[in-house]
Amino acid sequence: MTSTGPILKTINLSRIVNTQNQPKTIIDSFSFEFERSKIYNIIGATGSGKTSLLRLLNRLDEPTGGQIVFDGQDYREYPPCKLRYKIGYLFQIPYLFPKTVYDNLLYANPKLSDGKISELAVHTRIENNLLKSNIENLSIGEKQRASLARLLAIEPVIILLDEPTSSLDPTNTAAIESLIKDIVLTKGLTAIMVTHDPQQALRMGGTALLLDEGKLAEWGTCENVINNPQTEIGCRYKNKALK
Amino acid sequence: MIDAGYTEVFLSLVLVAIAIAVGRWWKIPVQKEIIWGTFRTFIQLVAVGYALEFIFNLDNVGLIFAVIMIMISVGAHTVSGRTKNTSSSFIIAFISITIGSLITLGLMLLLRIITLEARFIIPLAGMIISNSMNASTLTINRIASDIKTNRLRIETALALGKTWREASKTFQQDAVIAGMTMILNFMKTAGIVALPGAMTGMILAGAEPVKAVLLQVIVGYMLLSSVSISSVIALELTVRKYFTPHQQLKIDV
Repeated sequence: MTSTGPILKTINLSRIVNTQNQPKTIIDSFSFEFERSKIYNIIGATGSGKTSLLRLLNRLDEPTGGQIVFDGQDYREYPPCKLRYKIGYLFQIPYLFPKTVYDNLLYANPKLSDGKISELAVHTRIENNLLKSNIENLSIGEKQRASLARLLAIEPVIILLDEPTSSLDPTNTAAIESLIKDIVLTKGLTAIMVTHDPQQALRMGGTALLLDEGKLAEWGTCENVINNPQTEIGCRYKNKALK
Repeated sequence: MIDAGYTEVFLSLVLVAIAIAVGRWWKIPVQKEIIWGTFRTFIQLVAVGYALEFIFNLDNVGLIFAVIMIMISVGAHTVSGRTKNTSSSFIIAFISITIGSLITLGLMLLLRIITLEARFIIPLAGMIISNSMNASTLTINRIASDIKTNRLRIETALALGKTWREASKTFQQDAVIAGMTMILNFMKTAGIVALPGAMTGMILAGAEPVKAVLLQVIVGYMLLSSVSISSVIALELTVRKYFTPHQQLKIDV
């Protein structure tokens, strides 16, 4: 892995899909450089392409144009499975495989030792007794923390988080937010998080990227993009968000 | 031995009359269907009887093969009608039934269990094709429905760096088991819950029960082979449609 330069770069990244035999642009010439060990918040109205962008970065969907450069190399040079080990993805709704959290961590990385599993559990604040309990007995907050632990088990360098707190209560939301910040700080990962809540972006800090109809409308510090937008689209988003 | 002729068939219409009477008594509107079904059964089976007699008398290898291919095409067409949510299901079924049937029949010929005579090959092919047809339908429908309803689970596995095969492994296994359920159930209960058709037919025609049973055992093993081959091939051809070479799930197939 090269040690300098952006960890992830997109150049004119685009995705056009056919909806009812009509081409529809989902992501439109998205170019950006994501630095190492930073937090990025993808914000924008519903349908602006936030999740679609995240899916492209994980190659769950195929770009129809442009390029993704991961750690200096074109994404097409990586087998998709290898790329996904490096760029992990956390879904909005956590899905855990049967039967226990312990099984899930081993499923993600069969080489994990018991010591490493305990370490991951401590890091993601999963109590030891929860590791071997059936996933059916976990609360939604515990499930999301377990999903995060499972994501870390594959040892990614970038974590893509698709509204990870959208189904959580304020207490669990705060816990996950602090956990993500802690992971970025201690493990040196880059977190790219989609959020529909501008207040959450402000709490997370770092950089905000405002998407509008698949295009990057504005970017900068969260404070600037959300509270002092410089573009018309940014002002519209601010006014709508404040309502 | 029962000597069934047209007179006996005519007399057995009394049984149809009972079915109609029961329907009328209970006011179940099935009389028209019973009459139509009775007529069709007679015409179709008598026509098949004469056709088979003609083919058996000719005993031509090319004709045997042609008849088998027609049966497979009709079977594949039936599968495509029952698997409308999967595109190209006719091709999938045609390939899976053909391979399952030809391997099984070919092996039976090679092992000299049967000889290359129309009177053996065609009835056995009929049994094989109809069972493979049901197995292919069940397998195709099961894998298609499981993939569509488990998108999050599959994409979670893909996002963790698993291959499409690993991500859909459980569903692939379930689909093949679904396709094989009928033959597995048949093998477990054969002779206990019901006397299988081929055996019953032979006994009614005057064959020794043990000989009839041994033939039925061979038929059971034959169906097991063809159904398992057809199910696995139908699965392979269907499941691959749902994934791209880049390990991505395609829902709109």
